[in-house]
Amino acid sequence: MTLSFSLPTFFIIFRETTEAAIIVSVLLSFLSQVLTEPKDQALRQRLSRQVWAGTVLGLVVSLIIGAGYIVVWNLYATNLWAASEGIWVGCFSFVAVLMITVMGLAMLRTNQMQAKWKTKLFKALDEDNHNQIANSNSKSAGRFAHQSRKYALFLLPLVTVLREGLEAVVFIGGVTFNEEWEAMPLAIVAGVALGWLVGFAIYRGGNKMRLHRFFVGSTCLLLLIAAGLVAKGIAAFESDRWNRLTDAQGDDDGSYDPRVNLWALTCCDPKKPDAGWWGVANALVGWSNIASYWTVGSYIMYWGLLSAWLFRLDAKRQTKGATVSGEQRPLLQGEGAAAAASGSGEGSSTSRSEDLDITVA
Amino acid sequence: MLASIKSLALLALAATAAQAAVVTYDWNITYVNANPDGLHERRVIGVNGQFPIPTINVTLGDTLVINVINQIDQPTSLHSHGLFQTGNAQFDGPSMVTQCPIPPGANFTYTIPIEQHGTYWIHGHNRGQYVDGLRGPLIIHNTNETYKYDEEYTFALADWYHTEHEIMLEQYLSIFNPSGAEPVPESGLINQRTDTKFNFVPGKTYRLRIINMSALAMFHFYIDGHDMEIIEVDGIDVERKPVTSFYVTAAQRYSVLVKARADASQNFLVHADMDPAMFDVVPPELQLKVQGTIVYSESAPLAPNGVTDEYEPFNDALLVPVVPEATQKPDQIFPLTAAFSVLNDYSNKATFNDITYVMPKVPTLYTALTTGNLSSNPEVYGKYAHPMVVKHNEWVEIIINNDDPGNHPFHLHGHVFQIVGRSTGKYDPASGPYPGYIDSPNPSRRDTVLVPSEENVAIRFKANNPGVWLFHCHIEWHLQAGLATTLIEAPEVMPSVLKIDPTHIEHCKALGIPYRGNAAGNEGLNLDGANIGPDPLPGTFTAKGIVALVFTIISALLGLATVIWYAREDDAHISAQVAQAKNTEEEH
Repeated sequence: MTLSFSLPTFFIIFRETTEAAIIVSVLLSFLSQVLTEPKDQALRQRLSRQVWAGTVLGLVVSLIIGAGYIVVWNLYATNLWAASEGIWVGCFSFVAVLMITVMGLAMLRTNQMQAKWKTKLFKALDEDNHNQIANSNSKSAGRFAHQSRKYALFLLPLVTVLREGLEAVVFIGGVTFNEEWEAMPLAIVAGVALGWLVGFAIYRGGNKMRLHRFFVGSTCLLLLIAAGLVAKGIAAFESDRWNRLTDAQGDDDGSYDPRVNLWALTCCDPKKPDAGWWGVANALVGWSNIASYWTVGSYIMYWGLLSAWLFRLDAKRQTKGATVSGEQRPLLQGEGAAAAASGSGEGSSTSRSEDLDITVA
Repeated sequence: MLASIKSLALLALAATAAQAAVVTYDWNITYVNANPDGLHERRVIGVNGQFPIPTINVTLGDTLVINVINQIDQPTSLHSHGLFQTGNAQFDGPSMVTQCPIPPGANFTYTIPIEQHGTYWIHGHNRGQYVDGLRGPLIIHNTNETYKYDEEYTFALADWYHTEHEIMLEQYLSIFNPSGAEPVPESGLINQRTDTKFNFVPGKTYRLRIINMSALAMFHFYIDGHDMEIIEVDGIDVERKPVTSFYVTAAQRYSVLVKARADASQNFLVHADMDPAMFDVVPPELQLKVQGTIVYSESAPLAPNGVTDEYEPFNDALLVPVVPEATQKPDQIFPLTAAFSVLNDYSNKATFNDITYVMPKVPTLYTALTTGNLSSNPEVYGKYAHPMVVKHNEWVEIIINNDDPGNHPFHLHGHVFQIVGRSTGKYDPASGPYPGYIDSPNPSRRDTVLVPSEENVAIRFKANNPGVWLFHCHIEWHLQAGLATTLIEAPEVMPSVLKIDPTHIEHCKALGIPYRGNAAGNEGLNLDGANIGPDPLPGTFTAKGIVALVFTIISALLGLATVIWYAREDDAHISAQVAQAKNTEEEH
């Protein structure tokens, strides 16, 4: 990239930070909603600190492991590629495409993140109640249950953030194989900053629609980057093959296979030092001044396959959704059942959302 | 002294009329098997079953007659390099410029009045046949040489390939050679051998005639233990110039005077080092340093080898011709920029001002003689012959920009030219007058000049020789790649000076080549069917490019729309999930 800003890194860090922020906001809001009595304030403060501690520790540890992993990866792995650079670049491009696509689509479920956390919390409380009832007869079991419950709000965020953080590190290693490390710091800082901002916005109960649009928008951008990476990966393979065919001494002499070429512009070369916006275009959508049937074809095919996959996912979701609403809780009758059944409907969904919307009182 | 070269030649002819002879050579052009470097036997083109071909020796005032019988399976022709061919353009030799090539099995007699003296060479001029061996020295003696010497030797330097030229040419011009890397020779030769010996007798003065007959290589020439003085360059006698070494590009010639040493105690090496800068890569087995031996005595030991990589800087523009000729203000100036690039046939081609040379359908000389008044209109010759039309006795200047990383030797047929300027960079006529003029009352003259990479040279001559003269880079690969233009000199005078021998027309008919009309073989200016060359690539979007770009954009937009559609439905399902979880909790 000509920018000293790694867009993929930014997005990965942003997503992970956002999720961490959501965890914190959900837990803290929950605490503020449940522990409203003045006598519970001390407990509330202690538990809030637990939440923060768990989250921050998780973040710090994953950052340390991440930094170490990336340093080792870049130092060691880059030396392997000298000989067949084109092929390495091509292969890793495709790995990156897979990762970014999966992560991008996962980001669409960000709204579900909140729901997921609420679900977990409710479940945790649920077990808690069960344990309390069940263990009133067994002191040791009760003590164990008591301990884990006591630190649940510390362990839960820690474990989850740690897991998400390591996931992010692996993703970053995959998508940044071909970038200089100088592009990382700014991207990481921006990702963290924006992630906290979004998490704070959620905490403050920002408009759900706007947030949803934001996440969808960032996913679209991520997928554009992925599509561009497909074209770039194919171009790397092509360039490697052409260089072998023509016994090229140099690496980037701008020559290409004329038999499969679609366009070859003398201007607008993103690889030139004075490329400016063409370099940005290359990073964002994979723009190149030279395109072949292969690069254009693979680019179009990526979107085609992605769309087909989304259609399939949607079909599966439809049948699953029908199953959920059909599968009523046996104990719920009447109003509850009716409400649940119409949970997918427009009107009641809105009222439900308002119910579930965690706002600061 | 401003007498034209032609009148000088006539004067010389008149002076030597008494001794003028007709010197005849009967040459059957044949294939021969040879192994000049001892590394690889291969088929070469020889003469009368011999390789190397015989050396031609004539004297000023003679008439040289070469009876050629083409006994190889390709058409051929011969060009006497450096000879003016005044009023004799039809015998100059370049195929499709001054003649149709000689068909296989056919005869062709070159009749050439010798109007100059010095060191020249003769070589094939149809495709790259000279690289396959059809090349040899052509020495023109003067009855009264300018300088005195006891004996003379010829050093014909050449690069040598193990593969036949046509095979290498196909690879060189293929789409898989976009960088235009020239094939690298396998060895260098002196007089088509690697082990030449020259006998020197102490106290005698020798004239060494150095000719570079290469396809590509440039040699640095120097002799251990002996001083050299340059006395001739490309057939022009010059004032003695002592040098320790000098470079010779393809097609250039020099004569040097060397005084033998006083004793016969040692033998010495003669060095002809090929310059690695001319080669795309230098394989480790390539011997760049070619050597011959000066033998004083068979039993004498060899003096220490003085081979070096440091060569004295040499500027041929500083040589002063013995017969002075002042320059004049040019009537026409032709700026030519030489460059290489991949053109729209996807092979790496050479261009002068973005035009690559392509042979016309009719030999250019015949076009000039059969198009009447239109012969002064450059259009009749076709764009890709790159015609430069000049009037009789005009002074013509050509400024050559070398816009290429490589060094190029440029040769003009039918003339010697004055070197009137040298400069660095690329000269743009729009920026004003040429900045590199050398102010000299008697500029250096020659027929092949080196223009180094990213530099330019200005040359000047008087158009006193009606005819069609090829101007081209003498690196054979580059000529095949199209680095040539055609000088159409005094077409208005040509019909009165030149008459085409009917046998030449018969050869055109035998090969199915048209011999009348414009470059397409048509009357007037109708150039339908002319040979069209490749042009520079547009470097912009073509139709298929735009279609492709539109499809990529549409696919991205459709894809993104699908993503947004997929995400939109998410909301309802989220609520369902949370509701389910809350209900579960509320139960308890």
